[in-house]
Amino acid sequence: MLKYGYGGRILKIDLAERKFKIEKTDPQWIKSVIGGRAANTKRLFEKLKLDCDPLSHKNLLIFAVGPLTGSLLPASAYYTVTAKSPLTGILGDSAAGGQFAAEMKQTGFDQIIITGKSDRLIYLMVTDSGVEFIECPELAGKNIVQTTQIIRNQQKNYSVQVAAIGPAGENLVLFSTIVSSGNRVNGRTGMGAVMGSKNLKALAVHGSKSVEFADTLGFLEEVKKIEQDILNHNEYRKRYNMGTTMLMKDLNRIGILPTNHFQKGVCDYVDEVSGQNLASTYKVKNKACFNCNLHCSRYYVVDNFEAEGPEFETLCGFTSRIGNRDLPFALEMNEYLNQMGLDSISTCEVIGWIMECQERGLIHSNDLDDFSIAWGEKDKIKELVKMITFRQGIGNKLAEGTTKLSQNFSEEARKLVMQVKGLDIICGDPRGIKGYGLTYAIASRGGDHLRAEPFFELTNRKQEAKKRFGTEKAADRLAEEGKAALVCYSEKIALLTDCLTMCKNIGLCMDILNFEKASKLLKTATGIDYSPEYLQNILGDAIDLDFKLNRRFGMRREDDALPGRFQNEPLKEGPTKGSTIDIQRMVDEYYEIHGWKR
Amino acid sequence: MIKVNIGKCTGCRRCETTCAFFHTGKVNHHLSRIKVLNLYETGIDGPIVCVQCQERYCLRCPVEALSIGAMGQVIASPTVCTFCGYCEESCPIGAIEIFDVIVYVCDLCGGKPKCVEACTEKAIVFDENGERPSLADIREETKKMNPSQKRQFYLNKLGMEVRKQWRKQIA
Repeated sequence: MLKYGYGGRILKIDLAERKFKIEKTDPQWIKSVIGGRAANTKRLFEKLKLDCDPLSHKNLLIFAVGPLTGSLLPASAYYTVTAKSPLTGILGDSAAGGQFAAEMKQTGFDQIIITGKSDRLIYLMVTDSGVEFIECPELAGKNIVQTTQIIRNQQKNYSVQVAAIGPAGENLVLFSTIVSSGNRVNGRTGMGAVMGSKNLKALAVHGSKSVEFADTLGFLEEVKKIEQDILNHNEYRKRYNMGTTMLMKDLNRIGILPTNHFQKGVCDYVDEVSGQNLASTYKVKNKACFNCNLHCSRYYVVDNFEAEGPEFETLCGFTSRIGNRDLPFALEMNEYLNQMGLDSISTCEVIGWIMECQERGLIHSNDLDDFSIAWGEKDKIKELVKMITFRQGIGNKLAEGTTKLSQNFSEEARKLVMQVKGLDIICGDPRGIKGYGLTYAIASRGGDHLRAEPFFELTNRKQEAKKRFGTEKAADRLAEEGKAALVCYSEKIALLTDCLTMCKNIGLCMDILNFEKASKLLKTATGIDYSPEYLQNILGDAIDLDFKLNRRFGMRREDDALPGRFQNEPLKEGPTKGSTIDIQRMVDEYYEIHGWKR
Repeated sequence: MIKVNIGKCTGCRRCETTCAFFHTGKVNHHLSRIKVLNLYETGIDGPIVCVQCQERYCLRCPVEALSIGAMGQVIASPTVCTFCGYCEESCPIGAIEIFDVIVYVCDLCGGKPKCVEACTEKAIVFDENGERPSLADIREETKKMNPSQKRQFYLNKLGMEVRKQWRKQIA
């Protein structure tokens, strides 16, 4: 019986039958995965018919929180959504912060498993006692904030939190998102399309169950230490002021800011689109996730639009990556994408790829219904984004994602798609951050950094690198040596943050979480003995399970790769000039540490 | 009393979490005496807590279970209270609420409010001699609402001023 930390219950919902079942969380089962992301992957592995069409009623859509979610721990604000990805056909999942997770935690459900497909558009109202299935024709086509407001008004309750899809999810854009807290996005791998395919507009939660702790004062003591670690961190002010948008100038300074679709790593107008400029010109206040004392999110107002954010990926994606130097335009796009429910990374990749291919003459305007677009052409970017959202005209093809779209074009054009396993890669040129390069290649949801976030390689902490990873090179961003060891460490911490759950910026980038601290937090919160060694073992098992699951989805060793550009074309200017990445060797080393066979 | 500066609130809800935790050892916003709303349509976040209004509508309790303490705080007697819900209905801003046979209203933590300590943004401060506002106008508008709706109405009203400031700020 799970009394502390955990909610202790699992909610199973069948949309076709409009029935639900409440079960107790199996203590042994949950102990082997902690909660959150690892719990979802295991559930998917056990329950999903793996060869199913991701957009069919057979796919599962699983929401999970962890034993520390919604607790006193700063930024214990995350939930993970997992399904078979319609974009990549492999493991799909995405986490988001804000306020949704803490409210879901108060319903007492550790995991909500949704199966089947509704015959009409509905939303689910989940409370302590179960689920109400509510038909909502009035919500069709509504954006995220509208949907949230309508549901809260209907429920006459403004503590209700809502995770919804926008028009893009309803239209089954393969990289559509689920968005909660107005602007908090489960962005990657098309979880919005899975929700849309089930005719599920939103999952609303409101709970009244308490989060209780086994050793209340002991837990408080551990939390206080973490609060101090955050407040005393040398990046506190910088992160408070800019959040992740600080990376615009930081990455540009080392020559790895994706510019004109990774053709360059230095952006000469970075000051115009920087986090600094955003903070001083358009930010009106800071925003925060549940119970966080960093407050690194921001709210901005421009003439006709306003929103929370943007984070670095969206800011870079809609500025330098596609050649746009107009900051307010990027802010307008941030609001539009969040409200329509499109993933900014995959959206900017498809736009950037078309721009580069047209510049190189690999795609002609008559290939795209007479559409042509050059770097930074704002009106056309806007038009494309709208066409994708509503699957209008060529938008219908673009909505399948860059990898599928590229199948219609030459090999040369296909090679320019910046993707791994069908997932478009993030804004950070791996030629100058080799640990990140390895992470993109091996990440179990495809080209993504959050599976390991090896931020350590940017810290220059050479002695610490030698101590932790056996070589000073692990703290040298341009070195390949030591990076497999670094990634093998940080992928466990990354997974740990996703399981507890807590914020990765704090836990990992600010280097505040480790196995010892997690062990004490878990022990005091849940009363269950999670020793540091045990944690490392089960996190290792969970990473093995990701690997095994993706093998069953058809992935092979050669899919752990990077686009050829990063291996063959050195950057031509800036502090990363001349660098390429020998990814095969790094992946081999990574496999060796894991003991995985090719 | 607790004074709130909505413009500084980031919506982190640390005041709410801390209030519940230090009174009960648990985290649950229903157990908190200060309640935060995040209004995504306007970007306004803010805590709602007893403002010690001039009118003291809640004191018209039919069984006289409520009284005023030395710091102006509302004190609910758990033995006299019949949980009839009068106080909850009469508060114009949803700052007093019954949950699971306990009346939740700000008790100022005996003079050192934990929520104030938890707020790193100084969006809430403790002001012992602050001027008590009138809620007569608000009461007329929120009479038929439940506590959550009242909080939303009140926060929206306060938020309108903040949004005007934002416009000036970026101009």
